[in-house]
Amino acid sequence: MSRLRLSIILPLLLGFLCSVAVAQQTDTFFQQNCTSCHTIGGGRLTGPDLKDATKRKERAWLEKFIQAPKAVIDSGDPYALQLQQESRGIVMPAVPGVTPQMAKALVDLIEAESALPKSRFAGAAISDRPFTPANVALGMEILRGERKLSQGGAACISCHTIGTLRGMGGGRLGPDLTLVWERLGGRKAIGAWLTNPLTPTMQAVYRNHRLQNEEIFPLLAVFDEAARTSLPADSGAQVNFFLAGFAGLCGALGLMGWIWRGRFTNVRRNLVRKSRGVE
Amino acid sequence: MNVRSQVSMVFHLDKCIGCHTCSIACKNIWTDRRGTEYMWWNNVETKPGTGFPTAWEDQEKYNGGWEVEDGKLQLKSTSKAKTVFNIYHNPSMPTMDDYYEPWTYDYQHLFNAPEGPDQPTAKPISMVTGELINIEAGPNWDDDLGGSPIYAENDPNLASLSPEQRAQLSAVERLVLFYFPRICNHCLNPSCVASCPSGALYKRGEDGIVLVDQKRCRGWRMCVAACPYKKMFYNWNTGKSEKCILCFPRLETGQAPACFHSCVGRIRYLGVLLYDADRIEEVASLPKEKLIEGQRSLILDPNDPEVVAAARQSDVHDSVVDAAQRSPVYQFVKTWKIALPPHLEFRTMPMLFYVPPMSPVMSSQENGTISHVSDNLFHDIDESRIPMKFLASLFGAGDESFVRYALRKQKAVRWYRRAMTVGDVDMPTAERMLREADCSPDEAEAIYRLTALCTFDERFVIPPMHREEAIQMMEDPLTHKQDVGFGFMSGPHRGM
Repeated sequence: MSRLRLSIILPLLLGFLCSVAVAQQTDTFFQQNCTSCHTIGGGRLTGPDLKDATKRKERAWLEKFIQAPKAVIDSGDPYALQLQQESRGIVMPAVPGVTPQMAKALVDLIEAESALPKSRFAGAAISDRPFTPANVALGMEILRGERKLSQGGAACISCHTIGTLRGMGGGRLGPDLTLVWERLGGRKAIGAWLTNPLTPTMQAVYRNHRLQNEEIFPLLAVFDEAARTSLPADSGAQVNFFLAGFAGLCGALGLMGWIWRGRFTNVRRNLVRKSRGVE
Repeated sequence: MNVRSQVSMVFHLDKCIGCHTCSIACKNIWTDRRGTEYMWWNNVETKPGTGFPTAWEDQEKYNGGWEVEDGKLQLKSTSKAKTVFNIYHNPSMPTMDDYYEPWTYDYQHLFNAPEGPDQPTAKPISMVTGELINIEAGPNWDDDLGGSPIYAENDPNLASLSPEQRAQLSAVERLVLFYFPRICNHCLNPSCVASCPSGALYKRGEDGIVLVDQKRCRGWRMCVAACPYKKMFYNWNTGKSEKCILCFPRLETGQAPACFHSCVGRIRYLGVLLYDADRIEEVASLPKEKLIEGQRSLILDPNDPEVVAAARQSDVHDSVVDAAQRSPVYQFVKTWKIALPPHLEFRTMPMLFYVPPMSPVMSSQENGTISHVSDNLFHDIDESRIPMKFLASLFGAGDESFVRYALRKQKAVRWYRRAMTVGDVDMPTAERMLREADCSPDEAEAIYRLTALCTFDERFVIPPMHREEAIQMMEDPLTHKQDVGFGFMSGPHRGM
């Protein structure tokens, strides 16, 4: 109840508060929606480093791009296409809640943070230690859900599969994670992503159940291992899944047939059959 | 003593000619709607035969009615726990084939057929699929022993008969059959009501008619499986169950139900019985051989001052008690004891009673000539061509003595009347037969009158239904006064 009331009252209050509060709101927005793929002065993750973005391109273009990235790319804008190519073809998702005012505020924020020697958004602190087999083993436990996530998030296997998983593989709602290491661009990028996953599905799942750094590190070790050692989860797992499902179905039908073995079967047709001498 | 009234029925099988007029009268009034194509609230079966649906009497298959387990009455088909597990698929449900696939004919073809060498015909069309079908079965497919090697041979009541008795029944030239019209029995201990998970079925307190509340019914169809007489039907169009309503709208306006009214053989009698509602469970749990006496003891004597006082105490209207005193059903069932309930061993306490039919004497065929066991016009009852065991299985809960008693009395009455009117048998013998049949000349006269000379008003003693009192128990009639005046339970809808 109190949370509900807060969520109603807070935005109303904020609307009347001074520009400091507006700036804070932008900070939070940036933290929640942009840091999964971008840093300011921390090098590129999935998306480019935004430091000095205002110097590389005019503000109007930036604001337009932030609001509708796909539209700008589709319009054939050469700079947008170049950005997409640098991101290995990944299109920046349209972030809900980016109004023209917000876009302007974000560009302001990027400009202001770029001027600082060390931005608050320079990137998450993912350790540079080399991965050990112990890390991989722990990561697999987390991925398979054998070890619970400390904040109670769902295990990766519920939606994703990965080449190193045996048997029937994992879920198929999310993409295969085997080559995610290369797709998203390595340790730093994936680390940032896992700190703050942004897709509509993952955001909803992990918004209130954030992954911790000591959980992200072993997962990164798993992704690194998978990218180096295995092929993407093949269709064999899918066939196994289908066969197991079919066997389960037959088993269930057989069991039901046995439980209800005394059920009513046709009377009249049997009488007719019997009278014709067909036993 | 908790006295209630029940509109009960007697069907005099010796008078039934198997014309199916009752079935048609009912069909035309109640079940000519979409979704009720296959329903026959009233149907007439040929016995021996399997009836509608096929072999409905075989509760090993259909699981209808009650059974006594550890002294407790239990439904055969379901229980509270079983209802949960079987709610989406009842394992005791008859299939459509056991009723029949309803059909109509392509009458248009008679008018539209192109010119050809032959007369056009109207081919049968399934009312389920709309496709042309080969008719394989109907609601009276085994009528008059049609297809008897399939149907009559498999009558569940033949189970207790010896092979000779079976052969006797079906031998060519010596075939015997009788008709068995059936409607809902409006039982005292209805298994359909007990099985309903939605509580949609109820037995009206004021007249004992068993009804389905169409607003409450959720179409679980537990009642279809639970009714041992298979007189609950599922309407696929409305998704609700339906059954014989004993034409209560007609009864409430003083008319006999349609099947009763239209009966050509005048076999049907209708009247009130008073019964003791407190003892139903006790009686329904009795051992099989005590059931018939038990049910008779439930029915109270409406002329007993004690009963009349108790009835008044239980809010049974004086006019209903008066109707009960004139009830022809009470005469047949309690006074004369010649009407018996069908399959009382199902323990639902049916309140429709049958006067068992007489049949010709047994005969045998030797060298092409047929010789009869007895040359007597009114032969001994035990030499009837329909074995006593068969009738006992139908109407005596397996006990022959009740059926024999009823048939003996009928025979004695005939003999007595023969002596009176024709005179080719002598009176002393007739009177001796009456004594042996536990019947006085007065009683014989009364049986004769109510069987042969009965008028419309003697056959149907319809009590005033006092709906106004029944309704007032549940709602205040003045609630609706300001809505639309008297006459509407819910206001008329306006506009399109």
